[in-house]
Amino acid sequence: MFQFPSILLSLITLPLLAILVILMIPETRPNLVKTFSLWTSIIVFIISLFLWLSFDLSTPKYQFVEPFFSVPYSNMNVFIGVDGISLFFVILTTFLIPLCLLASWDSIKFSIKEYNIAFLLMGSLLICVFTVLDVLFFYIFFEAILIPMFLVIGIWGSRERKIRASLQFFIYTLVGSVLMLLAILTMYAQTGTTDIQVLQTISFSQELQIVFWLAFFASFAVKVPMVPVHLWLPEAHSEAATAGSVILAGILLKMGGYGFLRFSIPLFPDASIYFTPLVYTLSAIAVIYTSLTTLRQVDMKRLIAYSSVAHMGFVTIGMFTMNIQGIEGSIFLMLSHGIVSSALFLCVGVIYDRHKTRIINYYSGLTVAMPIYSIIFLFFILANMGLPGTSSFVSEFMVLAATFKSNIFITVLAATGGVWGAAYSLWLYNRTAFGNIRLTYISNFQDVDRREFFVFLPCIILVLLMGIYPEVFLNIMHVSVQNLVEQVQ
Amino acid sequence: MNFFNFFENDFLVIFPELFIATVIVFLLSYGVIFSTSEHYKNPALAVNLSWLTFFTLGIAFLLSINNSLSSMVIFNNLLIIDPFTTLIKAFILLSSMVCILISINYLNYQKINTFEYSLLILLSVLGMLCLVSTYDLLSLYLSVELMSLSFYILAAYKRNSEFSGEAGLKYFILGAFSSGLLLFGSSILYGFTGMTNFEDIAKLLSGLGSISDPISYNGIVIGILFVSIALLFKVAAAPFHMWSPDVYEGSPTPVTAFFSSVPKVALLALFVRLFFYTFYNFIPIWQDLLLISAMISMVWGSIAALSQKRIKRLMAYSGIVNIGYMLIGIASGTTIGLTHLLVYLFIYVIMTIGFFSFILGTQNHKTKALNVYLLDLTNLGKTNVVLGLTVSLILFSMIGLPPLAGFFGKMYLFFAAMNSKLYAVGILGVLSSVVAAFYYIRLIKLMFFEMSSKKYTLYKQMDQLNAYVLSISLFLLIIFMGSSEVLLMSCRRISLLVSL
Repeated sequence: MFQFPSILLSLITLPLLAILVILMIPETRPNLVKTFSLWTSIIVFIISLFLWLSFDLSTPKYQFVEPFFSVPYSNMNVFIGVDGISLFFVILTTFLIPLCLLASWDSIKFSIKEYNIAFLLMGSLLICVFTVLDVLFFYIFFEAILIPMFLVIGIWGSRERKIRASLQFFIYTLVGSVLMLLAILTMYAQTGTTDIQVLQTISFSQELQIVFWLAFFASFAVKVPMVPVHLWLPEAHSEAATAGSVILAGILLKMGGYGFLRFSIPLFPDASIYFTPLVYTLSAIAVIYTSLTTLRQVDMKRLIAYSSVAHMGFVTIGMFTMNIQGIEGSIFLMLSHGIVSSALFLCVGVIYDRHKTRIINYYSGLTVAMPIYSIIFLFFILANMGLPGTSSFVSEFMVLAATFKSNIFITVLAATGGVWGAAYSLWLYNRTAFGNIRLTYISNFQDVDRREFFVFLPCIILVLLMGIYPEVFLNIMHVSVQNLVEQVQ
Repeated sequence: MNFFNFFENDFLVIFPELFIATVIVFLLSYGVIFSTSEHYKNPALAVNLSWLTFFTLGIAFLLSINNSLSSMVIFNNLLIIDPFTTLIKAFILLSSMVCILISINYLNYQKINTFEYSLLILLSVLGMLCLVSTYDLLSLYLSVELMSLSFYILAAYKRNSEFSGEAGLKYFILGAFSSGLLLFGSSILYGFTGMTNFEDIAKLLSGLGSISDPISYNGIVIGILFVSIALLFKVAAAPFHMWSPDVYEGSPTPVTAFFSSVPKVALLALFVRLFFYTFYNFIPIWQDLLLISAMISMVWGSIAALSQKRIKRLMAYSGIVNIGYMLIGIASGTTIGLTHLLVYLFIYVIMTIGFFSFILGTQNHKTKALNVYLLDLTNLGKTNVVLGLTVSLILFSMIGLPPLAGFFGKMYLFFAAMNSKLYAVGILGVLSSVVAAFYYIRLIKLMFFEMSSKKYTLYKQMDQLNAYVLSISLFLLIIFMGSSEVLLMSCRRISLLVSL
């Protein structure tokens, strides 16, 4: 197709320009603020689709590369570009931001301007994270996202524990990240460059690789999150507003996975192979432990948050199998989880908006009064479980098949995760949707309205599309992932 | 020989100091004559003299950057003027100007009618300017004393406050003690080397792979140690920092603002001159000392700050932590370390002055009192969103979050540490900065996150000068990411000229 000049730069700067405009809109016109930011995010999404359309499938090199900025008098030139691995993260970001803005249309009642500004800023920073081809600036944007996310959780969150949740989120992530900063600085001192394309040609010694890998692991393990540093996730998810949870589950977790794929594995291949048993163990524990913990939860969002941890356990297993199927499966699982988890949080958000509570015991018999909502909810619960025909089945199958080639014990453990997943998903749906309805005020039981339906519709279509014909998405990743695997061997 | 031929160019290059000294005499007489004159009904000249001081410092700044000669040693090798000193002097003069600006509102509200406040600041600035250009152990002591004596009086400036008097007394006792240590160290150095000039000592110490006589060697080591420890006392690095929380808390707030920002610049410039030039060959000795001091500062400062309830004490401990970071820059012993240290100094002064201008500008609507406790800042995000956001951004910069300037300063310093293979210090530094993040976040939490306490304070509208200073400092912190090349380049160029 045709080449849009500096398409990535426009993806990054358009939300920033929109922020400037929104700053001028007075507080007395909230609808204008909301409409404007929504249209901007939709336009950004459409532009990112052009990335997909004009992507060249046959090369593992970075495409749409353009200089971002350069520090004069030093050899630090920062480029931005996508390859097969990062393309879909960019599209996922631009896909989720309009959904978040649309979902929080009615539920955010105060400081609407600042809220929309925070989300557009996060969108811009996220695209920077996924496209920048420089380790130091990846770190800078990785950290910079903490500020708006911290404010979104803390200000527009729902309950008293939100402050504790946002503090935990902030400090956990910060501790891991500063160790990564030290590793990056040492790398710069030793090699003299922070450009990824140059660093991939440099090989470090085994001991140095191990130290660097551990420092990077500290940061990514908190982000992913892996057991035992996953404690911030259930807190942050359950206390944030709906859209905050969506962006957190949909994209912020993927930053950790992306970090592993872009930095830990290609730059430190020997250390990655060395530490594979560690990652397998932690991920298997994550899958089994968190899935079992979900059965004890009383809060719906916390349940879905723990299931997020379980899915990301699958992701890390897939990534460290070091074969094409595994890595493609893990990327696909990240994408699918991004959509399914976000949709589940949106479902919870729908009934939270109506009843103002997330306790599972409170709800029963939703099918009677809200049939359309129940179907949508059922669809995403089945997708969460890994029902064949949905994207999660495809991805989990690929991951398990790849793990089988490398380590059968872990495959068995991870495969039991499918059983636990079914257990808590069906339990959640059963308790809330089926049974006898307790009717109170009829206005609380209104079915999904048009806006909410249009929030769910793209998710449903995407999940089905990814599940029935995943090759559309997978063929982009083939060459890049193959390149990655060859680097490791 | 004609006496004045000898000093032909010397008076030319110390125009700033001469100007300030003359103006001090003039302003003193002006103040005394007019504030005691019955004819003019005893006017309170405090604000008037503050503005005059402001302009004095401005003219001195212009004089200092327009030096006709760029590098020479003057007055019989007592003082040195070179690009490094010019940069530091310009910076000191600029930051003192801003400190005077933010104190004017305080003088008004506290009804401080005595005009000596600005004069004392001028005197201490004179001391600092001489300190930056010292080239001899004797002039070092003289400048340090000139600077410190003014500080002792400034700390005790509020006459009707017991706390202030206590702060001044504590500062005086510890300051005199550390000056005594400084003299002791200098005399030992003189005894074992026979010279007091920095250049002579540098040439003596650099010419030897080792001084063959172990007594002389150890003597010089002891001299260096005493001098460094005395200076660490002055700069409030742990474990010699005990005086600083009490002194910072007891002093009047603009004096605290002045203490936290400007003397640190002067003293660190002195550190650079001493350690990178004079004592450079004894680097195994002082590197370990400075590293240990840095590590203790960072750890102790960040942990102790967690339990503080008052703003000024919190800022004192945060100052200790920052000095810890800066000592890493000096201890690294490389040009890169020096460059990045200068950049971090710049950023640190801006952050500190910005934060203090916020403290000095927010007065309670009814009682016109300044904020003392941390809890006074509750719900600032609700009562005044813009002010809350401004302070939050300054605090985020202090934590070291990208893309604000504080992150780049810290990153540069840790890069210098990693470059010199000081891995343990680097790891300790970053971990302590995470602990430090906690108490800055607590301030932001108090301001923004709605807690069950419905307490809030209504503030008077911030006066113009404080508002300008606050906004300009925030602006400088935000644009740092895109515009830092000029600063970096000039620091780099200058730091290359310092070493032998």
